[in-house]
Amino acid sequence: MTLLLPHILNGLTLGLLFAMIALGFTLIVGVMETINLAHGSLFALGAYAAATILSPAILGDTAFAAWWGTLPLGTRYALALVVGPAVAALAGIVLELCLRRTYGKAPLYGLLLTFGAALVIEEAIRIAWGSGEQFLQVPAVINGPMFMLGLIYAKYKLFAAGFAILAIFAVWLFLERTPYGAVIKAGAHDSEMVRALGYDIGRLRMLVFALGAGLAGLAGVVMAPIWGLRPHIGIDVVIPAFLIIVVGGVGSFWGAVVSAILVGLAVGISGAYAPAWSMMSMYILLVLVVGLRARGLFGRKSQLEL
Amino acid sequence: MISLSDVPARPGAVITPQIVLFAAVLLTAPFWLPMVGLYQYIGVEVAIWILYALGFNLLFGYAGLHSFGHGAYFGVGAYAFGLFQQEVAVSLWGGLLAAIAAACIAGMVVGAFLSHRRGIYYALMTIAFGQMFWFTAIKAHGVTGGEDGLLGIPRPPADFGIVSFDLSDNTSLFYFVVAVLLVVTIGLWRLVHSPFGRVLQALRQSETRAAFVGIHVWAVKWAVFALSAAIAGLAGGLFSMAQQSAYPDVMSLHQSGFIVMMTLIGGGLVSFWGPVLGVALYFVARDVLGSLTETWLLWYGLMFMIVVMLRPEGLAGAIHLLSERLRAPRARAAGQPAE
Amino acid sequence: MTDIRTGISRRGLLAGGAAGAAFMGPWTHNRVYAQATDKPIKIGITSDASGQYANSGASDRRGMMMAIAEANERGGVLGRRIETVHLDTETTPATGSRVAERLITREECGFLIGAVSSGVANAISQVAQKYGTIYLNTNSSSPTESGENCHRVKFVWDGNGTNFAKATVKTAIEARGKRWMLLTNDYVWGHNTAASTKALLAEFGGEAMDEILVPQGTRDFSAALLSIQQAKPDVVAAAIGGDDQKVLRQQVAQLGMGDSPAWINNQQDWPDVYGLPLDNLFGVFGTTWYYKLDLPGVADFVQRYQAMYPDTSMRVPGNVFYNGYMATRELLRAVERAGTTNNIAVIKELEGLRMPAAERMQHHDAYIDPNTHQVQQTIYLATANVGTQDPDDMFEILSWSDPDAVRDLDAAAKCTLEPYEATPTYEV
Repeated sequence: MTLLLPHILNGLTLGLLFAMIALGFTLIVGVMETINLAHGSLFALGAYAAATILSPAILGDTAFAAWWGTLPLGTRYALALVVGPAVAALAGIVLELCLRRTYGKAPLYGLLLTFGAALVIEEAIRIAWGSGEQFLQVPAVINGPMFMLGLIYAKYKLFAAGFAILAIFAVWLFLERTPYGAVIKAGAHDSEMVRALGYDIGRLRMLVFALGAGLAGLAGVVMAPIWGLRPHIGIDVVIPAFLIIVVGGVGSFWGAVVSAILVGLAVGISGAYAPAWSMMSMYILLVLVVGLRARGLFGRKSQLEL
Repeated sequence: MISLSDVPARPGAVITPQIVLFAAVLLTAPFWLPMVGLYQYIGVEVAIWILYALGFNLLFGYAGLHSFGHGAYFGVGAYAFGLFQQEVAVSLWGGLLAAIAAACIAGMVVGAFLSHRRGIYYALMTIAFGQMFWFTAIKAHGVTGGEDGLLGIPRPPADFGIVSFDLSDNTSLFYFVVAVLLVVTIGLWRLVHSPFGRVLQALRQSETRAAFVGIHVWAVKWAVFALSAAIAGLAGGLFSMAQQSAYPDVMSLHQSGFIVMMTLIGGGLVSFWGPVLGVALYFVARDVLGSLTETWLLWYGLMFMIVVMLRPEGLAGAIHLLSERLRAPRARAAGQPAE
Repeated sequence: MTDIRTGISRRGLLAGGAAGAAFMGPWTHNRVYAQATDKPIKIGITSDASGQYANSGASDRRGMMMAIAEANERGGVLGRRIETVHLDTETTPATGSRVAERLITREECGFLIGAVSSGVANAISQVAQKYGTIYLNTNSSSPTESGENCHRVKFVWDGNGTNFAKATVKTAIEARGKRWMLLTNDYVWGHNTAASTKALLAEFGGEAMDEILVPQGTRDFSAALLSIQQAKPDVVAAAIGGDDQKVLRQQVAQLGMGDSPAWINNQQDWPDVYGLPLDNLFGVFGTTWYYKLDLPGVADFVQRYQAMYPDTSMRVPGNVFYNGYMATRELLRAVERAGTTNNIAVIKELEGLRMPAAERMQHHDAYIDPNTHQVQQTIYLATANVGTQDPDDMFEILSWSDPDAVRDLDAAAKCTLEPYEATPTYEV
C-alpha cells in the first residue's frame, strides 16, 4: 500500500489544519454557545494584518516602509504571528461589545449579529486592502519542497501542521490546566456560581471572545500562504469549521479535533481515489455521523436546546 | 420585548384590512413603480421574495425554528420548474406543481433529519444541508447546467381553459405573481390563526412545555418545515420564470442568510407582515445604495447589526410600538421587560 | 448620473405596449425614443465590483472608461456625449439578470458592456436578447459563450479555452512529451476546456493518461498533486479557474513542481497575478495581450493608461483592461460608422468586422466571426519572466498564433444566432 500511505499522511496533515481553522470557532461555540459566523472574516482580517507586516509594499513608498523592508523576513514573520491574531482579537472585542445586547436572548441573535458582522468586516477589508489577491511571504527555512519516500512535500505545510498541533495543545492546556480555563468552563454553565466566586462574568466573556477571534486570526496567518488571500476567503473557513463542530459535537474540545482529523482523512483519501467527490465527502461524513449520533461524536446536551 | 403572540390578531376574518391594503399596493404597483424611480422587473422580484419570506417566517417567526439554509428549497423549486419545462412539457401549472412537489419532498427528507433537533443544533444542521444542496447543484452540471445555470427557461402562458394570459412581459408576469402571492398570503393568514398556528407558537415558547400538553412536537416541526420548503419552492419556480433561468447561487449560505436578514429587519418575529416590509426594504436599499456605492453591503450589514442589537422586533415592531403609544400611552409603559 | 427625462420615455412605451402584448407577442413591437441629437448615449456597465471577480471587474471597467473618455474628448459619437451607469453584478448570475433589466428598462441604456464570469454573462445576455440591447462580453473566456449560449446581441471579446488549448497542445507535445495528465475543475468551463485538450491530444498523437477532476471550491490540491507525482506524466494540462486557480498556483509554487512536469495553464488574467512572486506563474499559459509587446502604439497605450489612472495599484494595463478597452472602442466606432444607434445596424456593422493588427496592437489582424460573434484574435503563449528586475514585467512572451490556426470550430457548430427578425429593434 505504498500508494495509499502518502494520502493517509496527507489527510492527517489536512485534518490538523482543519482543526486549527475550527479552534476559535469551537471555543466560542463551546463556551459561549454563540455561532460566530464572523469567524471567517476574522480569519481574513488576521491574515491581511499579517500580509501588511510581511509586504512593506502595502505600506506605500514611505521611509518607514523602506526601513521595514530591510528587517529579516524571519523577524517580520514572527511579528506577523503576533500582530495578525492581535488585530483579529481586537475586532473580536468590539464584536463582543455588540454581542452583549444579545445575551439572555435566543442564540439566534448572536448568530444573526455575527452574520452581519461578517459582511461588514469583509467589505471593510475590501475598502482597506482592495479586492485583489494578496500574498503572504514566508521565511526560506520553512518554504519550498522537501523529499520523502520519493515524493515531494511542501515544507510550509508540514510547518503549518506542526504549528496546528502546538496551538491545539496550548488551548487545551489553557482550558484544563490554568485557573482561567476552569473559570471559563464554569462560566459557560453556571454564571451565577462564577459571579458568586467574585469573577466578572462580562470580562470573562470578553476574554473568551477575544481568544476565539485571536485564534481565528492566527489560523488566518498560518493558512494564508497555503490558500492565498482574498477578501471573500471567509466563506472557505466558516463552512469546514461548521461541519467539524456538527460532526464532533458542540462543546467538546477533543470532539472537534477528532472530527477535524476525520474530515481531513475523508477529503485526503477521497482526493486520491475519487477526487471529484473530495469536497462532497465532508458532507457525506456529516450525514453518516449525524444520522447515527444526533449530537455528533462527542456532543453533550446543550443548555440552549431547551 | 414584544413577541408575535402579543400582537393582537383578528382570528376568524378571512379578509382583513391589512390584506386589502397589501393587495391594493401590489395591484397598483405597475402604475406607481416608475413614478418612484423603480422599474417593473424589480416589482416581480420583490413579489416573489415576499412569497418566499412569508413562507420562511412561518418557520422562523412563528415556530421559532431558525433555518439558515432555506435557499436550498428556493433553488430546488427553480430547477424543478426549469427541468419540467425542458424535459417534460411546457406548462405553467405542471412546472409550478413540480417546483412545489420537489421542494416539499426535499423539505420532508431534510426535515426528518432536523426535527428532533433544537436551538443551535437545528440552525447548524440547516446550514449543513443547505450547503449540500448548493454543492450538488454545482456538481450535477449535466442536470442543472452547473455554474452557468439552467438557461432558456420559457414563461409558459397562464392557461385557464377558457382564457389564456401571456406572461412573457414583466407586467403580466407581475400580475400573475401577485395573484399567487395573494392566494398564499390569505392561506397563511388563515393557517397562523388556526389551531395549527397556535401550536407553532407554543413550540416557539418551549418545546418541552408543548410536549407536556400533548403536542406531537416532532411531527409538527417536520410538517412546518416541509410546508415552508414547499412555499420556498413555489417562489423559486416563479423566480426561474422571472429570470428565465435557474442558478445555484440562490442556494448559497449568503443568499440563505439574506432571507433571514430580510425577515428579521422587517419584523418577522413580531408580525405576520414583517417579512413584507423587510423584503421591500432590502430590495429598495440594494437598488438605491447599490447604485450609489459599491460597498452597499457594508452599510446594509451595519444597519442589520444595529437592528439586531437595538430593535430585534424590526420595522413591524417599531410601527406596532408607535401605534400603541399613540393609541394608549398608559398601556405598555410598564410592559414586559423580556420574553 | 441623472436621468434626463425627455418627452417620451421608454418606460411609458413599455407600459403602454404591455396591454397590447397579449395579442402582438411580447417583444415584436419596436421602440423609438426621443432622438434629440444632443441627448447623450447611455452605456450600462455590468462589471463585477464584489465577489470572486471583483478585482478583474475593476480592471475591465477601467478599460471601458478609458475608451469612453477618449471618445468624449473627440466630441462623442454621432455628435452625442457618452454617459455611463455602473451597477455591481456581484459575480452572481441572478444579480446580473436584475441589473440588466434595470439598466435597460429604467436607465434606458442603449448598450451593455462587461463580464468576467460566464454565468453572469449568460444571465445578462439572455435579458439583453429579450430587449434587443447590444451586449459586449468583454472578458469571460468560456467556450459556451460563443457556442451554445451565443446570442445575436452578444459579442465575445476574449479568447476562449479552446483557442488557448489549440495554441499550446501541438507545440507542447513536441517540446515536452506525449504522456499527458489533465487536471480539470469539475464544472462546465473546466469540462469544455478539457474536452478540447483531449481532442487535440488525439489529433496530434498525445496520450491522455488520466484526468483528475477537482471540485469547484477546492482549497487543498495536495491529494491531486500527490497523484500527479505518482503517475509521472510529461505534461499536466490544467483547466482550473477562478479562486481555485489562485490556490493551485500557491501550492504548486510551494512544492517547487512548476517546472517538472511541464504545466499548461489555460489563461492567466493579469489582475489575478499582478504583484505575485514569479514562481506563482508556473508553466505555460495563454493571454491575448501584454503591455510589453514589441509593437507600435503599445508604449503610448500604456502611457495613456498611467495618465488616466495614476493612483491604481496596477501600474500597467493587462489583458482584462485591454479587452474592456478594445470592445468599447470598437462598439463606439461601429455606431459612428453606422450613423445611427439602431441596434440592428450596429450589429451588422460589427459582424464580420476586420480590425487591423496595428490598431489592436497585436501581431495579426483580428475579426469578429459573423456566425459566433466571437473576436478571432492572436493568441499569445507566455511564461514567467524569470530573472527580470522590473516587478511589472512578469511575462515572457514565447510565441503567438494566427487567429485562424486556433479557431474554435466546436463553438461554431454549436452556436445558432437568433434571426434578425426575432431581435427587437431600438434606437436610443
